[in-house]
Amino acid sequence: MKPKVAIFSLTGCEGCSLAILELEDRLLDILDAVEVVNFREGMTERTWDIDIGFVDGAVSTPQDETEVRHIREHCTTLVAIGACACLGGLNTLKNHQPEEDYRRYVYGDRAEWFPTITARPISSVVKVDYELPGCPMIKEEFLRFVTHALAGRTFTLPDHAVCVECKKRGNLCLYEKGEICLGPMTRAGCDAICPTYGSKCEACRGILNEDVLKAAGINLREQYNVELDDVLADLQLFGAYQAKALP
Amino acid sequence: MLDRVISRDDLHALIDGLALQRRLIGPVVRKAPECRPPWRYFYQPVDRAEQLDLSFSYCVYSPKPFLFPPQETLFQFERVDGGFTARPQLADRPTALVGVHPCDLNAIQLLDHVFSAAPADRHYRARRDNTFIVGVDCARPCTDGVFCADLDSHEAHGGFDVMLYPLDGDAESAGTTPGRYGVVFGSRAGGEWVRYGRRGEVPTAADERTFDRYQRQKRTAFPHALKTPADELPQLLERSYDSLLWEATARRCYSCGSCNLVCPTCYCFDIKDQTTLGGDGGQRRRQWDGCQLRGFAQVAGGHNFRSRPAARLRHRIYRKAKWIRERTGLRGCVGCARCDRACTARINTVEIYNQLTEEV
Repeated sequence: MKPKVAIFSLTGCEGCSLAILELEDRLLDILDAVEVVNFREGMTERTWDIDIGFVDGAVSTPQDETEVRHIREHCTTLVAIGACACLGGLNTLKNHQPEEDYRRYVYGDRAEWFPTITARPISSVVKVDYELPGCPMIKEEFLRFVTHALAGRTFTLPDHAVCVECKKRGNLCLYEKGEICLGPMTRAGCDAICPTYGSKCEACRGILNEDVLKAAGINLREQYNVELDDVLADLQLFGAYQAKALP
Repeated sequence: MLDRVISRDDLHALIDGLALQRRLIGPVVRKAPECRPPWRYFYQPVDRAEQLDLSFSYCVYSPKPFLFPPQETLFQFERVDGGFTARPQLADRPTALVGVHPCDLNAIQLLDHVFSAAPADRHYRARRDNTFIVGVDCARPCTDGVFCADLDSHEAHGGFDVMLYPLDGDAESAGTTPGRYGVVFGSRAGGEWVRYGRRGEVPTAADERTFDRYQRQKRTAFPHALKTPADELPQLLERSYDSLLWEATARRCYSCGSCNLVCPTCYCFDIKDQTTLGGDGGQRRRQWDGCQLRGFAQVAGGHNFRSRPAARLRHRIYRKAKWIRERTGLRGCVGCARCDRACTARINTVEIYNQLTEEV
């Protein structure tokens, strides 16, 4: 029997759900191997008997929180997809602003109609079995996850920095151009797409571990003459780092 | 002793001839407006000799990826009637690497040694056996921070089919294109390329004198950076295993692996299988690995033999200056300083050796 798969969206742009549909030439292979039973962005039918549930978007409203608990109850395996679901994503930018300000900015004079809570990754509300980070999620990594799940193999994320993939592509390091790229601190798996096209890494796949943050704190203070607040803002952009200062 | 002297135009004609039979790879300049100087050199495929800049300073990456690519498929496998079949995938496209500096030639000699030792690596050998290498000598250090002269890898000791020596370039000003090259043959194929191409002349006594002068000038042009001679680095490291330097330096290390990935002598790799969605076939792939990456020495069950960055930094330095040298008699480091330039934490190998020298 084919595993039953569902794809859900909380607060976010649903770009990660869309990334699945963008696996265009692989979609028929995927549909051969799994049965999609619930996918708002892809179909109208809905059932709630789910083996693997994928969720994009952050928990950013009371409704998200209820919804993700409901989803968790009906999925044997729950997978967070994308920066919003894994880290909180861009939604977490509001966490660093006064609530009054961002509510008025986003909803104008109807702010009181829309309840909102501190934006957070879904793992802070329910147990998450796997995470496929990135903004958007890397569709090749999604495919690798599905392949591993079908074969019963253990899936793991790359345990090294973006620099590895960047160097393998033969890019000129952005540090040589005087930029503070977050590549050395960030989990690989994106094939260093941003540095390859000349933009510094902004850690949309999350920080590798505590050690790299400590190294970053030391290097940025001792080796580089930079505004720490600017680097902090980059680290906060996708919710990779939430604290107010580097260790 | 030179085998030939050749004009720039004749050399270009020979290289263009090479490009008819082989994929031509060599140093090409790319604009980098944010950098100083505002350009960088990279090895890349080209069609004609005139696209190459043989008086380049240094290439950001060594030519290693053309012999040992960052990732490659070793073989394809498929499930067939309860068993499986496997088809090796060998890359044997004829290639010419033109414009390889002595540091990188020394590194290629190490790669040759490592991948040719029994059991030989068929995938490396297939590429290497089909690669024709034209070296070009450096009259002066390519940039600050290199320590090739300390390791005697500012001179070519083999690893080339033909070696070129820029004879009448202005040694004082960078980027001057020499009009004439001294030619030394490194292999039969190299000699045939020049002789059958009917280019270049037999060197005269005056040419040999020019070459002597070139070599004399070169000896004084390369400063030494290490306070311990390279021959004594193994003993220095032997005494430095418990130095506090490792921890003090590695506290800055991101473990990003950049030093490994740009190194012309790093040859470690990892192998992984990629299966199809249905699980009925796939590819066995290998990709570069690096001893500075946290998972490098992690084994089944989760134990990590070098879980701390300091242990990993010490391991790299020991490999480069001690273990590879002791085991192969070859240079584990060629002093190109690519690791130092690539380090996002500005960790510097020359500083490490010199600080250790002062400690003991």
